[in-house]
Amino acid sequence: MEPLTVPATLDDLEILADFVIQAARAAGLEKKPAYRLRLAVDEIATNIVTHGYQEMGLVGDITIYADMDEETLTITLEDNAVPYNPLEEAEVTEEDLHKPLEERKIGGLGIFLTLRGVDRFTYERMNNRNCNIFTMRRPSSGANP
Amino acid sequence: MKISSSTQNDVVLVTLEGDVDGKTAAQVQQEVLPLIPEGGKMLVDLTQVPYMSSAGLRTLLLIYRQAQGKGSKIALSGLSEDISDTMEATGFLDYFVVANDVASGLEALA
Repeated sequence: MEPLTVPATLDDLEILADFVIQAARAAGLEKKPAYRLRLAVDEIATNIVTHGYQEMGLVGDITIYADMDEETLTITLEDNAVPYNPLEEAEVTEEDLHKPLEERKIGGLGIFLTLRGVDRFTYERMNNRNCNIFTMRRPSSGANP
Repeated sequence: MKISSSTQNDVVLVTLEGDVDGKTAAQVQQEVLPLIPEGGKMLVDLTQVPYMSSAGLRTLLLIYRQAQGKGSKIALSGLSEDISDTMEATGFLDYFVVANDVASGLEALA
């Protein structure tokens, strides 16, 4: 699939979602992993728009790439907002997840769902750009589930 | 996102149509929170919600807390398999009365 660049606004996130759904279909992902990948990409893209651009008073783009080989599907999000490593966000612990909702903190669930949803998640800062890389094993690869 | 509400057998029924995500969660919060009754019952029907991100979970958390504060009971109906999976993983599922459809949701709150 050809990479796609969209304005970094909440209104344009559904274009990224459609791109991921198409890539997941092309890679033959089952319904559940396809949904989880879409969720993972959406969580990070939402953070890029709100924390990377809007809260800093910046305007910009997000570029999405899909790369496939026999074993994996890799989705990459690239932006030139402020450096933002989602992995440095305070992680939600198992203990947090078992707390009653009255005592829950409001943040941190997005990155938890991202990490849970994909087989591998990587963040890199390259050439003044943030790269968020999501990798899924394809079912035909016969790898472990 | 389309949000409609009605009252059925003392239950405030709120129906959401569309994705609940970073774009729409604020609207859901703004429109649904004021509908929570004092010491009453509310059913939120998600049959026509195909997708919910963590922004939607935060909204559910706020709905839950307000309902607790107002002494109201809350139930959810029509969760898709995927949304149910997300809510289970994050420990949200245990705190809501969950029903397959509106009719059984109303029954669960009766």
